[in-house]
Amino acid sequence: MKIKTLYKQILFYVGVVVVWQIIFLTHLVPEQALPSPIQVGQVLVKEASDGSLPYAIANSMWRLVVGLVIAIIGGMIIGIFMAKVETVNQTIGSLILGLQSIPSVAWVPLALLWFGPTDAGVIFVTVAGALFAISINTHSGIKNIPPTYIAAGRNMGASGLQLVTNVMIPAALPYLISGFKQGWAYAWRGVIAAEIIFSIAGLGFLLNLGKHDNDISQVSGILIIVMIIGILVDGFVFKKIEAKILSRWGLSK
Amino acid sequence: MTKLQAKNIVKHFDHNGNSVVALDGINLDVEEGDFVCIVGPSGCGKSTFLNIVAGLEKPDSGEILLNGNPISTPGPDRTMVFQEGALFPWLKVIDNVEFGLKIAGIPKDERREISQRYLDMMQLTKFADSYTYQLSTGMKQRVAIARALAMDPEILLMDEPFAALDSQTRDLLLVELQLIWERTKKTIIFVTHNISESVILGNKVEVFKNRPSKIKKEIIIDYRRPRLAEDENLQKYYHQILDELKSEVIARTKDDSK
Repeated sequence: MKIKTLYKQILFYVGVVVVWQIIFLTHLVPEQALPSPIQVGQVLVKEASDGSLPYAIANSMWRLVVGLVIAIIGGMIIGIFMAKVETVNQTIGSLILGLQSIPSVAWVPLALLWFGPTDAGVIFVTVAGALFAISINTHSGIKNIPPTYIAAGRNMGASGLQLVTNVMIPAALPYLISGFKQGWAYAWRGVIAAEIIFSIAGLGFLLNLGKHDNDISQVSGILIIVMIIGILVDGFVFKKIEAKILSRWGLSK
Repeated sequence: MTKLQAKNIVKHFDHNGNSVVALDGINLDVEEGDFVCIVGPSGCGKSTFLNIVAGLEKPDSGEILLNGNPISTPGPDRTMVFQEGALFPWLKVIDNVEFGLKIAGIPKDERREISQRYLDMMQLTKFADSYTYQLSTGMKQRVAIARALAMDPEILLMDEPFAALDSQTRDLLLVELQLIWERTKKTIIFVTHNISESVILGNKVEVFKNRPSKIKKEIIIDYRRPRLAEDENLQKYYHQILDELKSEVIARTKDDSK
């Protein structure tokens, strides 16, 4: 069953590349607007071999990871306080809802003014993109913990921080993981956007470079890389963790 | 020796803005080694009473004394077996059993020794490394009992622990629980709406009156163990309790139809 899905997907992507190449060969679209898959492949191979692509990926990824870790820790702390203290929820919680509606890219000008075009600036955008979604999901996760878990934890002597770390956080994990997933998606958009505008080393920078050089193959190639990383992180990191949690919590077959 | 004393426990509930009296002065003495069953119509507040004994809810007035000392907070000296769904799905069976011991800061080696003993007692050794989703409802309740016993509580509280089980599994556990009680000499308070269960298990059965709840009658059952569900000699106790409860259920129905 799973293998079958994989075959379908491989077949689909091969088909896309073939159709792409055919369209290219017909010259219906000018070459400056649509490169051939081969040209794109060549650019990527060249950048991979001269080290510029791995360097860019490494740069973007470490900023993402640092930003996401900060957002996860911060978001969970905020979310737990929102769930435990009603006043915090009514005040800070309402602010968080508002802040969450700001697209990641909208934080870039502020980051530039505060931090300049630095790693810290990119990380700020990443954190700002992910933090609020994670807070909100943590809040609903804690609110939706079956009361029996809490009662059982207290009954066996857990209270305060012990109750939070030993019962509440693990009990809320199915919600937390979907918050992390959302947070990562916003964070990844934020990293790329900030790198484009800041023009500092990373995948966003390579995109910007392609634009400057009027190199459509470069721009298309990097977009594909950004997408592939997205698919890999989502499919191999988050989906795996999520599936494991859901099955252990008895929430799936 | 008196293990636990409930003194004039009163509890109100807020129901659509009205204050409803749930418990109207519960007085109960539980002697060391007693197996006390609390039986009553559903919604009569018997689980609320158990939660108050556990320290999970606070009474509006009255007090609970454990070994003569008043208690107000939850504590591992009064562990509870919940109706269902109280095992932690993120922990293996063995780690569920050790949860309270870990919270209490007991070293790992000692924890393993204790958990092995109770897993063995509940015939769960094979399942030590399983997760709860891999267990049947009956197995889960065995784990819950092992988890509660592992804390070596002063008193074991059981809130309808067998209500969700099929009848064969329940009959088996009813016998096992009696054997465990005889073996561990634990004091047990067992809440149920099932009269048979109370007759099989209890050496004292407290019949709760409908809201506002009070203890209507205490029935002493001095009969050999292990008692089996099919034992006809238990019928007279069954009917005695049934008679007490019948009027309560009728009163309840009238109350609800108002």
